[in-house]
Amino acid sequence: MRRFKVFKSLVRDSLDTITQGSRKYHLWMAALTFMMLVGMYCYSIQLDEGLSVTGMTDRVSWGLYISNFTFLVGVAAAAVMLVMPTYVLKDIDFKQAVLIGEGLAVAALVMCLAFVIADMGGPSVLWHMIPEIGVFNFPNSMLTWDVLVLNGYLFINITIPLYILFRHYQGKEAKSKVYIPGAFISVFWAVAIHLVTAFLYQGLQARPFWNNALLGPRFLASAFAAGPALIILVLAVIRSSTSFKIQDKTIKKIAMVVTVAAQINLIMLISELFKEFYAPTHHSESAYYLFFGLHGKDALLPWIWTAIPLNILATVILTFHKLRNNFKVLYFACFILFIAIWIEKGFGLIVPGFIPGPYGKIAEYIPTGIEIGVTLGIWALGAFVFTILAKTAIGIEIGKLRYKK
Amino acid sequence: MSSDNKKWFSLNIGRKNQETSSSCSCGKQSGGCGGHDHEEIKHIEERKDGFEQVFDVKMNRRSAFKQLAASLAIGAGAVSTSCSMFSDDESKEKAQIDWEEQFKGNYKLMTDEEKKATVDRLVRSYQLRTGKTISMSSKNAEENVLFGYAFNISKCQGYMDCVSACVEENNQDRNSQMQYIRIHEMKDGNGFNFNESDDNYYHEVPAEGHFYMGTQCFHCDNPPCVNVCPVQATWREDDGLVVVDYDWCVGCRYCMAACPYDGRRFNWSKPEVPEEEINKNQHYLGNRLRKKGVMEKCTFCVQRSRAGKNPACVEACPTGARIFGNLLDPNSTIRWVLENKKVFRLREDLGTEPKFWYFMD
Amino acid sequence: MNNHSIHRVVCISFIVLLFFSCKHGDGEYHGVTDKIKAKSENYHGTSLSSEPYLEGVETIEITEGEHSFLIPERKSQIKSFACTECHSKPLSQLQSKDGKKAHWDIKLHHANENTMNCVTCHDGNDMNNLKSLTGNSIDFNNSYNLCNQCHTKQFEDWKGGAHGKRIGGWAPPRASMTCVNCHNPHKPHFETRWPARFNTQIIKERE
Repeated sequence: MRRFKVFKSLVRDSLDTITQGSRKYHLWMAALTFMMLVGMYCYSIQLDEGLSVTGMTDRVSWGLYISNFTFLVGVAAAAVMLVMPTYVLKDIDFKQAVLIGEGLAVAALVMCLAFVIADMGGPSVLWHMIPEIGVFNFPNSMLTWDVLVLNGYLFINITIPLYILFRHYQGKEAKSKVYIPGAFISVFWAVAIHLVTAFLYQGLQARPFWNNALLGPRFLASAFAAGPALIILVLAVIRSSTSFKIQDKTIKKIAMVVTVAAQINLIMLISELFKEFYAPTHHSESAYYLFFGLHGKDALLPWIWTAIPLNILATVILTFHKLRNNFKVLYFACFILFIAIWIEKGFGLIVPGFIPGPYGKIAEYIPTGIEIGVTLGIWALGAFVFTILAKTAIGIEIGKLRYKK
Repeated sequence: MSSDNKKWFSLNIGRKNQETSSSCSCGKQSGGCGGHDHEEIKHIEERKDGFEQVFDVKMNRRSAFKQLAASLAIGAGAVSTSCSMFSDDESKEKAQIDWEEQFKGNYKLMTDEEKKATVDRLVRSYQLRTGKTISMSSKNAEENVLFGYAFNISKCQGYMDCVSACVEENNQDRNSQMQYIRIHEMKDGNGFNFNESDDNYYHEVPAEGHFYMGTQCFHCDNPPCVNVCPVQATWREDDGLVVVDYDWCVGCRYCMAACPYDGRRFNWSKPEVPEEEINKNQHYLGNRLRKKGVMEKCTFCVQRSRAGKNPACVEACPTGARIFGNLLDPNSTIRWVLENKKVFRLREDLGTEPKFWYFMD
Repeated sequence: MNNHSIHRVVCISFIVLLFFSCKHGDGEYHGVTDKIKAKSENYHGTSLSSEPYLEGVETIEITEGEHSFLIPERKSQIKSFACTECHSKPLSQLQSKDGKKAHWDIKLHHANENTMNCVTCHDGNDMNNLKSLTGNSIDFNNSYNLCNQCHTKQFEDWKGGAHGKRIGGWAPPRASMTCVNCHNPHKPHFETRWPARFNTQIIKERE
């Protein structure tokens, strides 16, 4: 009963916190709300007319939505890069960053689920996917695995921070006996969500571009580069706009994680390119299409040739200690790395998987305005969710929010 | 729907195997043993129909699920029709049908009575909406039948009569010009080089120096599309047909990505067929009218093949290049082709085991 | 040490179990060919028949080698059968100027002039029947016996069912078109023509 009262008060207090803020904060939230409304409007058009308002066709049947979904699963998984040292290895440095990281994971997962729902042809019958009520094709369909692990991960990432914040809110220390097992599970779980998502593509013998054993590991490497890179950027913003203290040491340690992951990612990229282009087979056509265009069709060239140089540049910058320890340069490197991986793992992975089609036919994919609208709306939703979570968490952590008896 | 006659895995958290309420003394699932009078069958239908099929668990959970379902319905908008002022019996009936259709179970798991009930509802719904009567079948797979198909590459002249017949038979969307069959025009001397083939030619055929090869759904015996479906909305029937329950499909298009043969089509917008062109001889798993946002595919014209007829493409082909039949009948023509001609299948290395063979004279 | 190995065995067997429980739902057969072989061993027919779809088509049953099947009856389909209704006199008399012109539209495009002319198949002395190369009489209904003198390979395929279109349905009894149902004997090749459809949406999609 008491706990319930505390919880009620926590909700009330956090509602107060998120509705109050500087002018900049209000502008930011208003912009996000506007974008969400635009996204909802676009989605209503899509619901009404069907998915024909998107750029997808029978040839390229997954597009911007699934690209973003794939990328964001990686971002969500990356929260573990902060959880592991903090809770499991007891590294104090990460303690402040970890709540932000988990908030980011929650926001990313919300976006993932929203993207999947946006991609569905029949959202009104989604209950068919609920285990027990519908028919859940487990374990045959990797998609059902994905549903399970994503929702499980969402649950873990909500409960652990909630518990810690709930304790701190009451001015008590969080009991490590309670959250350490959860943290342990989440470490494995994060790897699982990303591997399972990779298996979603990897398990399709029909798509040789995806059907390679390196896809899973590469997913992990790129996720552990892009996710923490985003966390660094977010921490930078939080550092400059709130009184929440984040030490330089923390950011430097996260930067180290980003560096190693980016390097591994680059090695895997080289290995993949070698395999596709040194001894090209019939199965290398998708890669040819992606990097050089096929039969005069080259819609993806600008994308991938933006991504590759950015990726290399970022990795080089991060590799040199001098450059990496200069925060301005670090932020820049993180930003371009984030963009590069977003392209590489979104557009650069999903679309060429469908091109050329099973019988060598090429229909190119260009997202439509409505699709982009929905996508931006969902990103705004993610940013919105994250802002709310981060603001509450920071409020509690710096002691502004406390339970008054 | 006791879980021991399921041939697949499903999560079974907290649900005990329970005696099927509709089974009778002879041990068969409902309705099979005779002795039921009409009343009783109807009673079973009422009890186990529609979405109750999936909610047929312990009572307390069942009511909870019902509430959940009702709240979902609000989201689905189905409730808006059923809650509106009932102007007359017809709209009330329509609302009732819509409601039951929205929450019916997966066709694959239905008993024969439930299959019949949903088919009756669909026929009635069409009648209420258009005033016209269609006939829809829910005929199950025949015993001792496994359908197979052979395509004679030497015979095909590229006329595309099969494509036309297929579209007309199967009520495919006219706006997007959906077609299940593709005829690939290949250059002599290039072998089976799909990259240099043209599947959308328009010139006099057969063109000099070319040959023709048709593709469609191959009804694989080990279909990758079936494995990946998260809700079992697509499956392989006992007679080998790979079918889709259009009402159960959630439209995730995973099956489309998994198919190595371009056998599947998606309804990107609401499919439209002019009323006078609608083929009214339908099957639930076959050519009944689809809605937007669901998958569909070639079913070897299940409405025809399960009645002993040839699929529309076979019947339309003027050259006899298409051969269809029962693979289990040792005297069937398809078996003779498989045993006496040099047959091959596309991408056999993928292990999909298509039931669609190619051969040459 | 023992504990350790037991642990390992349990782990490995669990993983193996996991792998085998996936996917291999019906691994009874190695492939569809094995499945066909096994399942058709005790084949005992189906309840389906294509007889209803053959109504209105007059057929005759033929037996060639080990194959027995129906083909459409031919004579009733020939417009001016029986031929002797006109061909009451020998040809030389009919070809004289006062006779009515007939068959003027028939031009032979079948093999070359060296190989074939009218009397390769038709019998000037017995117009109601065809004749084999050796002069034996062949009934119009069984005209395939005329074709198979040269087209032996096609004949084999036709008997088995690889050549020649089925009528009715796939279900027994088998009824197949005979040679002349698809091939005009005077001009047996298929004509070129325009395809039945052209898909403009695909063009748009691939632009």
